[in-house]
Amino acid sequence: MRDLINRAQNAVPGVAFIAILLSLLEAAARLGLVDRSFIPTPSDVAARTVEIIASGKVVEPLLATTLLLFVGYAIGCLSAVVLGILMGNYRRLYNFFEPLTELLRPIPKAALLPVLILFLGLGPSMKVTIVALAAFFPVLINTVQGVRAVDPVLTDMARTFGHSGVAVLWRILLPASAPYIFSGMRISLGISLVVVIIAEMVSGSGGLGDVILHGQRMFLVVDSYAWLVVVAALGFGLNSLFRWAERRTTYWVSPATQ
Amino acid sequence: MERAVKTSPRSMNGEALSLGGITKIFTSRHNELLAVQSVDLAVQAGEFLAIVGPSGCGKSTLLQIIAGLISPSAGKVLLGNEDVTGQPAHMVYLFQQYSKSLLPWQTVEQNVKFSFSHRMHLSRTATRERCREYLDMVGLADFRDHYPWQLSGGMQQRVAIARALAAEPRVLLLDEPFSSIDALTRLDLHALLLDLWTQKRFTAVLVTHDVDEAVFLADRIAVLSRRPGIILEIIETGMPRPRSPLETHENPKFLAVRHQLLSHLLAKPESVDARPH
Repeated sequence: MRDLINRAQNAVPGVAFIAILLSLLEAAARLGLVDRSFIPTPSDVAARTVEIIASGKVVEPLLATTLLLFVGYAIGCLSAVVLGILMGNYRRLYNFFEPLTELLRPIPKAALLPVLILFLGLGPSMKVTIVALAAFFPVLINTVQGVRAVDPVLTDMARTFGHSGVAVLWRILLPASAPYIFSGMRISLGISLVVVIIAEMVSGSGGLGDVILHGQRMFLVVDSYAWLVVVAALGFGLNSLFRWAERRTTYWVSPATQ
Repeated sequence: MERAVKTSPRSMNGEALSLGGITKIFTSRHNELLAVQSVDLAVQAGEFLAIVGPSGCGKSTLLQIIAGLISPSAGKVLLGNEDVTGQPAHMVYLFQQYSKSLLPWQTVEQNVKFSFSHRMHLSRTATRERCREYLDMVGLADFRDHYPWQLSGGMQQRVAIARALAAEPRVLLLDEPFSSIDALTRLDLHALLLDLWTQKRFTAVLVTHDVDEAVFLADRIAVLSRRPGIILEIIETGMPRPRSPLETHENPKFLAVRHQLLSHLLAKPESVDARPH
């Protein structure tokens, strides 16, 4: 309880600052200091956001984006963890894959969109692929690092009790490198959200990216902003969910938080 | 109580162990390091043998070779009549770094379970019972739902001991298991270990640089030289059992064996490094 009050108290200045910024913006737009057709008042945006949500219009684009994001992110993270554990544990596999991953990793994944569209078209398979690619590399790099950081005493211990190689991977290396994997996944989550929005803007076939762009093209500026609020809320929600999951699974890393 | 039958007969449980001509050379890019050289050693079933030597003499290397964690450059290890290759079943290794050898994401009970549940297909209740039985032996039954990092160093090593014994080893290899534990707790754990050894009668091989520890625990003590490790002497202590922390340490025989060992270990080395102050 005390902790909660403390946290609330700490949050006051930051929240107050946001409130001040919004009121300044509101005042500036109302007084005509900025062009309201480009920068609408926060109250207009808020009203439109509420309308979008209340009318249920929000459901379809939000679900479409979330689903794409979820599937692509899951595929990217899972394959990266599997390959990362193997690469971290087996020197030969590492030597085999490392040059390729180093070559592909620095490419901004959004730049691959035009090529991917050639192969996969504008549909969901293209979007899932680009998200999976974006999510893949940060998780891979971190997993390899995490596996390498595992104390050999732990793996030796498992071996002396007669655990098989697979059991060592699954029961020792995977959980022991979980903190590293999570920090990679957190980076990936941010990138994935960016990439899914861009992919939707490019393909123009539904989803939050599409509706934001649509608002701009039709000069429905308030709509664009309202949808931006929805995207921001999605990002915030996913991040909070992620942090909750991370705390639950890596409770053992910093005993102080227990 | 059919459980009692499954756990252990109170008879001789250990397995004989013998090393023949064990040599280990570590090669790095630039040099070769002869760690141990043609070590022959026979350990009887149910015996408590200690290997002492100055630090860096290759005694831990020797133990890791016995455990199949590293392979020797020459020589072989026999367990009973069988060649040891890989990790033999019924042989368990107790690590010096107890805090690193426990799984921090698992509770004390889950850690104990890790040593046997993959080999024996016990029901859930039987598994819990067995964990409890061994945690009880080390006095930690009430801490089974704690995580290792919530326990003190001495308690963590107790968990490691319970885990090791829950696998019901015929051979227990102890790699300086008490060296980073405070002196009083160490005496406590010595007594506990002897007590468990008397009950289970596994073969115990202890590697240590602590002369008192070796004399207190073991029946025979192999003295290893500075690197490359060769066996200088094997001392039969002849100390009576049961042993107690107070009386045993004051026994004149204890002092005599201690003297003999220390004079070996403190003998002036040929090279000037590592000379004791």
